Amino acid sequence: MDKIFKLNKREQLVVQFIMLAWVAVVLIPFGAAIINALKPNVGQVFREPFGLPDPWTWSNFAKAWVNANFSQYFLNSTIIAVSCVIIVVFCASTTAFVLARMPFRGSTAVFICFLIGVIIPIRLALAPLFDIVRTLGLLDSLFGVILVQSASMMPVSVFILVSFMKNISVELEEAAKMDGALPFTVFWRIIFPLMRPAIATIALLTFVQAWNEYFLPLIFLQSESNYPLTLGLQRFNQQFAIQWHMMFAGILIMMGPTIIAFMLASKQFISGLTQGGVKE
Amino acid sequence: MPSDTRSPRSKMSYRALERIQRTLLLTPGVLLYGIFNFLPLLALIPLSLVKWPGIGPKEFVGLDNFAKVLTQPYYRDQMLNALFQNVIFFVVIIGSFLIIGTALALLLSFRTWGRKSYQVLFFLPYPMAGAAVAYLLDLFVHPRGPFNAVMVELGLVDTPIPFLGSEDTALVTMALFYAWHRMGFAIMLILSGILAVRTDLLEASQLDGASRWQSIRNVVLPVLGPAFVLITVIVMVDVFNNADYILLIMGPEAGPLRSTDIMGTFLFRTAFGGSADTTDTNFGMAAAIGLLTALMILPAAIFLALRNLRNT
Repeated sequence: MDKIFKLNKREQLVVQFIMLAWVAVVLIPFGAAIINALKPNVGQVFREPFGLPDPWTWSNFAKAWVNANFSQYFLNSTIIAVSCVIIVVFCASTTAFVLARMPFRGSTAVFICFLIGVIIPIRLALAPLFDIVRTLGLLDSLFGVILVQSASMMPVSVFILVSFMKNISVELEEAAKMDGALPFTVFWRIIFPLMRPAIATIALLTFVQAWNEYFLPLIFLQSESNYPLTLGLQRFNQQFAIQWHMMFAGILIMMGPTIIAFMLASKQFISGLTQGGVKE
Repeated sequence: MPSDTRSPRSKMSYRALERIQRTLLLTPGVLLYGIFNFLPLLALIPLSLVKWPGIGPKEFVGLDNFAKVLTQPYYRDQMLNALFQNVIFFVVIIGSFLIIGTALALLLSFRTWGRKSYQVLFFLPYPMAGAAVAYLLDLFVHPRGPFNAVMVELGLVDTPIPFLGSEDTALVTMALFYAWHRMGFAIMLILSGILAVRTDLLEASQLDGASRWQSIRNVVLPVLGPAFVLITVIVMVDVFNNADYILLIMGPEAGPLRSTDIMGTFLFRTAFGGSADTTDTNFGMAAAIGLLTALMILPAAIFLALRNLRNT
């Protein structure tokens, strides 16, 4: 058995070579972004893209942050992502609790409705969605985008939570009900704490998705003061297309929080995001 | 038993309270999802039957939108072009996932030194925003960018290649951007498939004197079938509605000369127009195209849903 997976010295070298080759494919674009974001002007970027910056110009980040409005974009992205996480965690966990643990006549129908949301991507319904958001007067508001993005994360989250809840034993709940506990208490005191690992997964999933979302803000936001980083980066690209060193700095500002979070919790990221992708 | 000591009246009120609280718990999630996701999906059907530029009165046209998109040359040619290019886009992505992804996952399943670190590094691009990845790679392969500079320096090409500026290479380059971004996801799915192979089967094949490659080909690869199908289905559902990279880099006109037009950009253009001065936008047509696209990916999507349902 071990023989299959064990490698002798020479095989190990070959495999290491291939692994390092793919690491290079992954890391070189990031490396190019870092080096070139620190160059003083675009001429140096064009002349020697892999040369070290001379002088190291850390002020590019400050310039992008202040002059190009990245501070505003960053704030908007944070507001959107954090609100989405709070809304989705609350709405998905309560919904999943009722659907999994307190079935009623029609609960299967409700579950199937969520299933349809998993099957058909919301982007295909952009025309009616736009119509509804406009009718509600939520166009060009962060609140509207937050609701739409949260709703788009609901089906996956409900699915993950329902399947997780199927594996929690009902004994604690039954005991609490015997003592006359009402659903609010059962949910808040028993189910919610037990669901913590699954809730961490959907919180992570929602945060990453909301932070990275480009399409929905593109449709619903018009004024630049509401732009999240994804739209801000696009605006920045239209204005400063030739200022590559600034473009790289902007890209890194956008990626920064994700890279840091990924480094801190790579295991959770890999398992959580893989799970979320599978449930899409 | 506490419930025995209760009077019938308080028992009733417990039931009633329970029902009220259940409803209160269910309402926020159902309303949120219902209004901003489920209702728009349902509204695709009535909206596909009208002609409506997005503002003003709606004109009922029956199945005219479907007839137009399937027969009228202006729409039909765009649709066929987008569909054809979407298939190429999909094939390039899935091909690179299955070949490179399987190879890397296999190598990671061996006792490779540092395989935990490699897993993390390979996954690194996946959590990044599509917008940031799109611009990063756009600059990277630009004629004046780092990649072309190195190729010219090494003498591999005489003049820089405009990967995204030429009709011949733009679509494939975009697909490779997608593959670069999501390769970690494919690797992880295939790797977990390999790690789930039953060790007794492998042992048996070893006892029968199979070489390593024979064991891999006859025991490991067949078991990976479900993982391959899963990846194919996920990517199919995604690329037939999501056109973020192309919208970001090329805009809704999907240049050069619509050579990167796929269903997502075609749909966007139909609803909101290719540029600010477009006048022929039609929300009804966009709904019809959305429905047709939904029908196309429905088999794949239902397969995915049933699989998830079985797991729950």
